[in-house]
Amino acid sequence: MKLHPEIIKHFHSTTFTTPIIGVTGGKGGVGKSTVAVNLAAAFVAQGRRVALIDADVDAPNDSLLLGIPLENPEPVTIMQPIFDLEKCTDCRKCVKACQMNSLFRPQAKHITLMGECNGCEACYLVCPAEAINRGSHSVGTLYKSEQGKLTLYTGALQPGLAESALVVNAVRDAAFAEADQFDIILVDTAPGTHCNVISALKGADHVLAVTEPTPLGSHDLELILSLLEMFAMQRSVVINRSDLPGKKEKVQQAAQASSAPIAGEIKLDKDLLAGYLQGTPVVDLLPNSSAAKIFLKMADHLTATYPNRSKQASQGVS
Amino acid sequence: MKEIVILSGKGGVGKSSLTAALAHLLTEKGTRLTLADTDVDAPNLHIVLEAEFDRSTSVTASDKAMIDYEKCSRCMRCVDACAFESIIGDKKPIIISYSCEGCGVCALVCPEEAVSIHPVENGKINFVTSGAVRVVAGELGIGESSSGRLVDIVKREARQEASLSGSDLLLTDGPPGIGCPVIAALKGSDYAILVTEPTPSALSDLQRITEVVRGVGIPAGAVLNRSDMDQKSASTTLDWLARNDVPLLGTIPYDPYLPKALARGALAVNMYPDAPSSLALRNLHKMVEGLFD
Ligand code: SF4
Ligand code: SF4
Ligand code: SF4
Ligand code: SF4
Repeated sequence: MKLHPEIIKHFHSTTFTTPIIGVTGGKGGVGKSTVAVNLAAAFVAQGRRVALIDADVDAPNDSLLLGIPLENPEPVTIMQPIFDLEKCTDCRKCVKACQMNSLFRPQAKHITLMGECNGCEACYLVCPAEAINRGSHSVGTLYKSEQGKLTLYTGALQPGLAESALVVNAVRDAAFAEADQFDIILVDTAPGTHCNVISALKGADHVLAVTEPTPLGSHDLELILSLLEMFAMQRSVVINRSDLPGKKEKVQQAAQASSAPIAGEIKLDKDLLAGYLQGTPVVDLLPNSSAAKIFLKMADHLTATYPNRSKQASQGVS
Repeated sequence: MKEIVILSGKGGVGKSSLTAALAHLLTEKGTRLTLADTDVDAPNLHIVLEAEFDRSTSVTASDKAMIDYEKCSRCMRCVDACAFESIIGDKKPIIISYSCEGCGVCALVCPEEAVSIHPVENGKINFVTSGAVRVVAGELGIGESSSGRLVDIVKREARQEASLSGSDLLLTDGPPGIGCPVIAALKGSDYAILVTEPTPSALSDLQRITEVVRGVGIPAGAVLNRSDMDQKSASTTLDWLARNDVPLLGTIPYDPYLPKALARGALAVNMYPDAPSSLALRNLHKMVEGLFD
């Protein structure tokens, strides 16, 4: 996929100066969320006001890992057609317009919404009789939960729906609207290399790709790094479970091939696991542990490199 | 032929390793098997299985809008009309194709008929083999959307492959999450195996995936992987399963032989048949055999 330069420029543009750090990884289960919540805790320990966006809307677990209950639920809604059968002339233009094939007109009956509807409004636009009203339908929920200097924005998809992209955009926009209140914004993405990961990373100044030294880990890392390259995102690699009996060289090679430095290595660690199970970041639970120190060091490095977006605006897209 | 799908609500709990190990044990006992990898964002069943590449076909799993700039008058109506924020620009409209849903609204509002909707190739179906087992794996292009449709195509191809080869069982490695690709992977299945591990996050994922599976009315059972990782979380999970009538198909202890085998690109059940996890998997495999006998 070759991208138009305008798209890349648009992708990097934001209306605020708070730096954005993304945390991603080609696949689930490599420790992405562990890195995200511990970095959030490390920034807070440095006295910063932090927004953490949990954009893994299929399985948002950052609140559990942080031990913060989800608060302030807000529905994410899309338009859904409601048919006014008094006005409908049965022309079936709406049925034809719906690319999702969600509208049906069973024999001698009236138009009904049967399948998935993505709220595109094509049916509404083509109806010549104004027989369609704009109803709304909930596809997910947003939460905003606060704990001291940390604000967690969580998006949760309604199970079984296809609208994860809309929920990702909604949770990101909710946090971005309040960006000026924070010193740093962290984004925890879904696993994979699909468009929801890109949407979640919109505007990111730097992206950490979390991986582990296994054949699967290096394979997925290559994919995610090429995605980050495509969007000209600054990137580095975090090797989790770095002492697994695997091949670290493969991961290092993939990182080097993509000019992504290794930002940190995290060993298999009892303290880290304890924090995971207890729902407290190890940075808070055992701030003197070696695991905590790695995150604190990474946070130091990131804040030194990205003190404020305005400073780098002149550099433009790299 | 029976169809079983393996799901987890989120990646990383050992779904692919379990699928691969089960596949190995089942074929060892004579079951004829076809595998489908529907984790189209990160298909890696073939890596775990050390499978050999056979052939690959590209697929069009989505439609995208395209603008004919000869006709476009730069009125920018399409930019405002797109509900998915997929057209940008101040002076000239540009379509962000990766997030375009192909809904056609831009074409409807365009006064110059400058927009058209086209199917685009955005994925692949890879056919690979591992010993006697055929694997049909979907692979979505980097940065693409619409994994649900691609999963549909993978399942269709896998069914065809399975019936051609006279398989007794189609085993599907499901996508992570709880969204539309998961529904696509579930459709037409006889049974779902839900893989989890004893952590609070994994329990939350299990609860969400159970809701989805119940929603489509497919019977399901659970496997607790790395069961000895944490006693307290393990009993919370087992309690939850019992209270919600989800049968426990088996527990697999954490086993240092697993990553050791994986690091060498091999299966522990094969390489270390007497390791604790291998023994547990053998028990589980009997349960699974019982499901489709
Ligand atoms: S809003 Fe779009 S997807 Fe929904 S019914 Fe109308 S045309 Fe179809
Ligand atoms: S386009 Fe309007 S008038 Fe025509 S069938 Fe649909 S709802 Fe009825
Ligand atoms: S087809 Fe739909 S989603 Fe794509 S650019 Fe046009 S309006 Fe937007
Ligand atoms: S609506 Fe049509 S004419 Fe107007 S900017 Fe878009 S493509 Fe061009």
